[in-house]
Amino acid sequence: MSVCPPYAPFFGFGGVASAMIFSTVGAAFGTSKAGIGIAGLGTFKPELIMKSLIPVVMSGIIAVYGLVVSVLIAGGLRPNDYSLYAGFIHLGAGLACGLTGLAAGYAIGFVGDSCVRAYVHESKVFVAMVLILIFGEVLGLYGLIVALIMNSRATEAPSCT
Amino acid sequence: MSEQTKVGASAAQAVEQGGIFAKLLVFAALLAIAPIASYFLSKDYLWDGNTVFAAITAIIAANAVLIGYIIVSIREERLGTTARGPAESKKNR
Repeated sequence: MSVCPPYAPFFGFGGVASAMIFSTVGAAFGTSKAGIGIAGLGTFKPELIMKSLIPVVMSGIIAVYGLVVSVLIAGGLRPNDYSLYAGFIHLGAGLACGLTGLAAGYAIGFVGDSCVRAYVHESKVFVAMVLILIFGEVLGLYGLIVALIMNSRATEAPSCT
Repeated sequence: MSEQTKVGASAAQAVEQGGIFAKLLVFAALLAIAPIASYFLSKDYLWDGNTVFAAITAIIAANAVLIGYIIVSIREERLGTTARGPAESKKNR
């Protein structure tokens, strides 16, 4: 067993891909579910559409988290001198960010849909909606923080001698 | 007379929708460009190659776009209700 086997970059690239893929799935779910509610609201009160697009913007930010982590991990990949330790770290970081983004997008979708429909009838729901959406988005932020912490440990990987 | 007001109302709606559409396009472009641009620019020019601080800068940029959007949407709603308030009172008279 060598410290730097040739299949080590597989895990690194898997981390890059999973960060982008899973966070995008979460963001797509959040956008579409909230969009259904906004389409329902738009038929009754079109002047509220600008405010009710906030769940969609928050879903976009979940995808931005995944994008930033992908770019961050991809910047640390090497063709040579890449240990399996660094590969596993990058895979873990990508999965942490991606799957928490999936969870956050899921939450934002459901909350956005039902709160936007309730906003038609009661305007005080808006503040509650923004608060709940912020708590949902912070889940993705936690995953990004863990991915950052894990990725910073990859620099102390052993060299391949 | 009522037809003229209807045409005027739909023209005003079209102008309003054009303005809203432009705002949304600006925010969508900002959300796409600002985080990645701030990541790369701050990595090279601000943080001397440190990627963690560059990622944190990108996250702050993305959340700044979100907060800007929330503020703009709240202000737009306030402007909309005050503009419609005097017009409706004129109609009631």
